Amino acid sequence: MSSAVSASTTRSAEADAMGNADVALQTFVLSLHYGARQALCGVDLAVPKRRITALIGPSGSGKSSLLRCLNRLNDEIADARVDGRVLVGDTDAYAKDTLLHDLRRRVGMVFQRPNPFPLSIHDNVAYGLRLLGIRRRRELDERIEAALQAAALWDEVAARLDDSAFTLSLGQQQRLVIARAIAVEPEILMLDEPASALDPAATLRFEELLHELAQRYTLLLVTHNMQQAARVSDFTAFLHQGRLVEFGDTDALFTNPRERQTEDFITGRYG
Amino acid sequence: MNARRYGAAGTWLLAGLSGVSIGALVLLLGFLASAGLAPFWPAPIDELQMQDGRILLGEIVAAHAAGMSEAVAIRTSERERVGSAYQRVRVRDIAARSQPADAIVITLIDGRRLYGRHDAQDETALLAAAASPADALEVLQPNALGVLARCGVFFNRLAHFLATPPVASNLTGGVLPALLGTLTLVLLMSLIVMPFGTATAIYLHRRRGFAARCVRIAINQLAGVPSIVYGVIGLGLFVHGLGGGIDRLFYADRLPVPTFGGGGLLWAALTLALLTLPVVVVSVEEGLARIPGSLREGSLALGATPDEALWTLLLPAARPALLTGLILAVARAAGAVAPLMLVGVVKLAPALPVDGVFPYLHPSREFMHLGFTIYDAALASADAIRGVPRAYACAGLLVGVVIVLNLTAILLRNRLRDRYRALET
Amino acid sequence: MPGNPATYTSVLSADFIRACARARRRRERLVGAVVGVCTAIVLFGLLAIPLFLLLGLHPGTPLPAETWQRFEVLLAGTLRAGLCGVLVALPLGIATAMFSAHFCAPRLRAWIKPALEILEAVPTVVLGLIAAVTVAPWFKVHVASVLALIVIIPLVLLAAGMAFGEQVRNEGWLPLWLLPLLIALIALVLGVGARQPAAAMIVAASPWNAALVGLALGVATIPIVFSLSEDALFLVPRSHTDAAFALGATRWQALTTVLLPAAGSGLVAAGLLGFSRCLGETMIVLMASGNTPIGGFDPLHGLRSISAELALGMPEAAPQGDVWRGLLLAALLLLLLTLCVSALADVVRERLRRRLRTAAHAA
Repeated sequence: MSSAVSASTTRSAEADAMGNADVALQTFVLSLHYGARQALCGVDLAVPKRRITALIGPSGSGKSSLLRCLNRLNDEIADARVDGRVLVGDTDAYAKDTLLHDLRRRVGMVFQRPNPFPLSIHDNVAYGLRLLGIRRRRELDERIEAALQAAALWDEVAARLDDSAFTLSLGQQQRLVIARAIAVEPEILMLDEPASALDPAATLRFEELLHELAQRYTLLLVTHNMQQAARVSDFTAFLHQGRLVEFGDTDALFTNPRERQTEDFITGRYG
Repeated sequence: MNARRYGAAGTWLLAGLSGVSIGALVLLLGFLASAGLAPFWPAPIDELQMQDGRILLGEIVAAHAAGMSEAVAIRTSERERVGSAYQRVRVRDIAARSQPADAIVITLIDGRRLYGRHDAQDETALLAAAASPADALEVLQPNALGVLARCGVFFNRLAHFLATPPVASNLTGGVLPALLGTLTLVLLMSLIVMPFGTATAIYLHRRRGFAARCVRIAINQLAGVPSIVYGVIGLGLFVHGLGGGIDRLFYADRLPVPTFGGGGLLWAALTLALLTLPVVVVSVEEGLARIPGSLREGSLALGATPDEALWTLLLPAARPALLTGLILAVARAAGAVAPLMLVGVVKLAPALPVDGVFPYLHPSREFMHLGFTIYDAALASADAIRGVPRAYACAGLLVGVVIVLNLTAILLRNRLRDRYRALET
Repeated sequence: MPGNPATYTSVLSADFIRACARARRRRERLVGAVVGVCTAIVLFGLLAIPLFLLLGLHPGTPLPAETWQRFEVLLAGTLRAGLCGVLVALPLGIATAMFSAHFCAPRLRAWIKPALEILEAVPTVVLGLIAAVTVAPWFKVHVASVLALIVIIPLVLLAAGMAFGEQVRNEGWLPLWLLPLLIALIALVLGVGARQPAAAMIVAASPWNAALVGLALGVATIPIVFSLSEDALFLVPRSHTDAAFALGATRWQALTTVLLPAAGSGLVAAGLLGFSRCLGETMIVLMASGNTPIGGFDPLHGLRSISAELALGMPEAAPQGDVWRGLLLAALLLLLLTLCVSALADVVRERLRRRLRTAAHAA
């Protein structure tokens, strides 16, 4: 089967899988080169709105690179070259007149290891808001409280907003980072293996939080943990060596994968 | 087996030479401490009975072993001026030597010392012969003092040294103007070098183009320029060039007496700012580079532009590095004497650069400097016997300050390292 | 349920974002301009140094012939002082660096490095004071003893090492244990040497001479040579020395067969930079050299260096006069001399870095 044919079947299958959900973000033949090495090859991904989409695949398959293309963090890398199109809502992410900082606000990112700033909890969440020009104390406080509530952290930190962010546990720091990201009202929240640094109890609580967040935001989750992907996500995309091999409803993909490669990966034959 | 022996020999050689280096440092600092503090410790008064019947009462200030004959110099009562009554006698001419418990020394405000015995003459009689009672600065019976009392005298003299201006053309008295001059100079220099140094470090951190490489090469080469060349630039470019220009534009009525066209605080501060610029730039840039990349990425992911990330997050996080750079620059400037000799330091300044007259800071004035006082007191002072201890006292003070500054910078740097190690874990 | 999406109103409308974006862009441009202007001023200041010196020489009338003769003497004096200083600083600094980087116990190294940083911080005017006032008279009559010490100390160390070295298990704290031995040795040699009539034959013509300057300059330069050498030695990856140990090499053999060949150019660079620093030093030379314009290479005679000439001559010289221009030329020469030596050191150091980088890739 030629790759072109398999690509088209993938796309129509996606359309069936998503049903009537809108698309929050879409890529068209997205390719990424780091110098001479190709990291992504012709990825056509449509991320449905207000759902949790999981990105799985063996290490080195380009999952994190894909995330970094979507919010153009790869622009910071000197020899990275991106081809193709990325559409965030109605905006072409790579168009010349796109405001880079606005794109990054709308496509938020949570990293593998929590990276709170060396500031107080209050100032961490306020950081993005202050960048936007919101300076009045009352408005800041309201938005910070809303963000911390949404990240299920408010009850634990309400009394000590001025403490350093490093006094929080890793799980709390990760939630703080989420609060920081959603304070600036993104459309999409990308999470790069967010629970890999957490212990199992914190991980479970984290997964509950993801469900809550999905009611308001579109979530794109990269995970190494297939059980987590199966538990948490509505849709799953399988990446292998820079190619999008299969995309579909999570239950369907895990119980009845269409592609041979997908089945091999899920059953643990490699990866 | 032979190879092992050679190895052991080589190791011992290296270890021994390392020991010599460390020993030299310890010896240096120890000597400096003792020589610097000795002038403040009350010295005993000796009474020498000479073979020819003379009785000399005073402090022994030097002992020479000149060839075969040993000699001592003793400082006796100075009736005319400081340093006018040294007597050099040969050891073998001394019949008897004692330290009478009732010997007193009176130090006058103008630096002269009068020696006498408490029971033989009244203090006032002694004073009346040479000066009025109001001139007495300190009256001591050093041979009868206990250790605690000596410490009291020690701290008294130290305080006096730090807090009063010199008298008798820098032969005696305190070093307050030199201290003030050094502090004002260093303060002014910091105000100039920190903004420019930080701006340059920010520029080098953000940009990588050809211009940035030029700046970086220039800064690196600057660190190797001899300090005297900075003095030449200061004299030619700043004093004559800029200063002369300012004089012609604004103070033409005062010419040919220069206002800004001669050496002064401002030009000295500018010269030292140029001298310490590489220190600040390197320190700040290093501080910025040490901040983990995850912080920067987190900031960008929230919608900050790279410059905003720098100003709102990275620079505040690099504050300890800025402080370290400042401390190191100040420590370097406090010890640089050579360039200052060309741009405004004088042996005796007619006025302080900071006083109560508006505008309170007078950057065009010449000033005194602790390091220059050392040079002057050691080599160019009228009275070598008094000049050298004075030079050592100043040297002890200067080195003490510089060491404290450097230790603070080292501690800060270690704390920085620990803090960022915590950030990365 | 916190943050109910139905009731939450977003004020971050597109217009608000766009308005903020405009303000942010303006702020960024302003700040960028300020930083750029400051850096431009700094760059101008840096370039002004050589430019000023060159321009100051411009007026065409040639300098009188005495100026060139004077240069020769001054240059000889500067080089003599620099060589004497380097002769003291290089062995001590490099040996200390080799010991500290390879043999030293970590706890001792944690003291050595800050100690030498403090030595670097001591102002040179203080070192000049000690040299000129206290050491000079003593050194004048003890030249022979000091020379003897320079020869005896290494020999004794080598002999002691061959005799007792293998019995010492832990070499990490060796300098501290050797210190009493060294002190006793020095006291012995100085005490005995002072009595010998032969010693009186080697007496310095003047208490202020090149050897004295070399001692003080050497002490002042040890920290720079030490820290640069140590950095060069630490640049060599651990894997290289580990491989030598795995093959059964002793610490000394690892040093001579792996570390020194790899980091050799770094040590050379350290020496060159120390030399450059000695050439440019002013206060020590000003105070301890006697400032007598004598040429030649006798270490027991005084000298006059370019930096001392500048310090003493410039305040008196009338601007644009012959003396002034002569001094500017001297300053230019000194600048060129020190910059050439440090540029050479940089080239050597870059070669070291490149070689180690390719070695690391190959490893």
